[in-house]
Amino acid sequence: MTSGARTEAVERHRQRAVESLQLLDDPQTERFDRLTRMARTMFGVPLSTITVLDGDRAWFPGSAGLDVTEAPRNETFCDRTTAEDQLILVEDATQDERFKDLPAVRAGAIRFYAGQPLHDPAGHVIGTFCLYDSRPRTLEGDLLVAFLDLACWAQQELTASSEMRQAGQVQASMLPAHPIRAHGWEIAGACVPALAVGGDFYDHGLAGDVAHLSLADVMGKGTGAALVGAGVRAALRATDDEVAGGADLGATTTRVARSLISDLERATSFVTLFRAVLDLRDGTVRYVDAGSGLCLLVEPDGTTRRLSSRDRPFGILDDDSWTEHTATMAPGARLLVLSDGVLDLLDDPLTWWEPLAELVRAARDTTDLLAALARLSRDGVPLDDVTAVAVFRGTEGGR
Amino acid sequence: MTEFGVETRADGVGVVTPEGRLNMVSARRLREVLVGLVERGTSRIVVDLGETTFVDSSGLGALIGGLKTARQAGGDLRVARVSPAVLSVFELTNLDRILRPRPSVDGAFDD
Repeated sequence: MTSGARTEAVERHRQRAVESLQLLDDPQTERFDRLTRMARTMFGVPLSTITVLDGDRAWFPGSAGLDVTEAPRNETFCDRTTAEDQLILVEDATQDERFKDLPAVRAGAIRFYAGQPLHDPAGHVIGTFCLYDSRPRTLEGDLLVAFLDLACWAQQELTASSEMRQAGQVQASMLPAHPIRAHGWEIAGACVPALAVGGDFYDHGLAGDVAHLSLADVMGKGTGAALVGAGVRAALRATDDEVAGGADLGATTTRVARSLISDLERATSFVTLFRAVLDLRDGTVRYVDAGSGLCLLVEPDGTTRRLSSRDRPFGILDDDSWTEHTATMAPGARLLVLSDGVLDLLDDPLTWWEPLAELVRAARDTTDLLAALARLSRDGVPLDDVTAVAVFRGTEGGR
Repeated sequence: MTEFGVETRADGVGVVTPEGRLNMVSARRLREVLVGLVERGTSRIVVDLGETTFVDSSGLGALIGGLKTARQAGGDLRVARVSPAVLSVFELTNLDRILRPRPSVDGAFDD
């Protein structure tokens, strides 16, 4: 195969596009293998691959009927398909000047080849979707259409999965890096997205003797929900200082919600939120609940009450408003805020607070409680994100 | 896969009956069904939740979206035959006042 056909600039761009997929050392190729297995059955061929060219090697993130995971690039059909950036159909490679000298053709292993280039959103060729047969054959009509459909699917798998994973990493990096431990209090959170990215987030911070926390759940899942969530998080963060300084949470929340409503309406989305400001000296909790409804306060004597309100989520009605409520966390009291993904994990969602209060009471500390919730979501395979923030006030040293 | 029964009654009220779980997958379809009804001139809609076992936030989003679309067209969307499990989701999110459950489909537009 000549490399003269491809200019250096095109090759450089292509290589960078391949690297940005961050697939190259990904051991999880089942989703690609699945597509090639399907292709092998649909088209009755012994071999199918999804091929990605990486430097001098051709690498197979997915394959069916092949023992190796890579091959020298210049010994592959896919090198040519990538360079020409168009569908290549070879009915009998032994009769084709372009391919008859490839080792696999000389060895009699491959005579038929069909390869369709796969592109990233910027149009770079990032891989090829291929069928091979040891006998000459054709691919036409409905079968050709089916092959191109399957290639399209492979392209989506290659690109979407990498975007989702990267978005997931960015989203995870936006969560608080460390729990808060101050004045005998612990505040910690965890977020287990159902997909690589999700519509939940939590946040917390400390300003002197005042801590604040929020937990929000954006309707829907995936990248769209995460984008809406990032906007909500930024809008809330802009008001952290004022609410920590004593500004009314109801009025502040109403302002934030109204600034978001046109965005939410365009995205046909809504957001539930629980947000609280805690005075770490006297245990006063000021909170606002926007349709979240999933906050439990467990008193030092073990009795449980729910912190809720009658206020709706963000994005429902233009003229909605939100109200600040107050509660007190005595020394030894514990608070747990959750997203509704947890309801899916419980035997009886109607009495969700009972098993959860039990977990809160049994936990040694916030780390222990979050680990128990993580076990619950690992065992239950939730359909939705599961996010939680826990606040424990120590029995002593709470100032 | 959630199925949707869709019919328009003699009095012009559209009745949509989702069956099974109203989650991210089926919510998109419900949203399309509701918007389609309003576009064809049926802006008074009852969503019969008698056959719906579960509603998540995407399902709520589809109902709220349908409610807004119907109201913009001068109509309304009402929910009927809501199971305790689904009602608890409405109550948690404080949406039970704008998605006020009606006991029957026939009487959903009586007030």
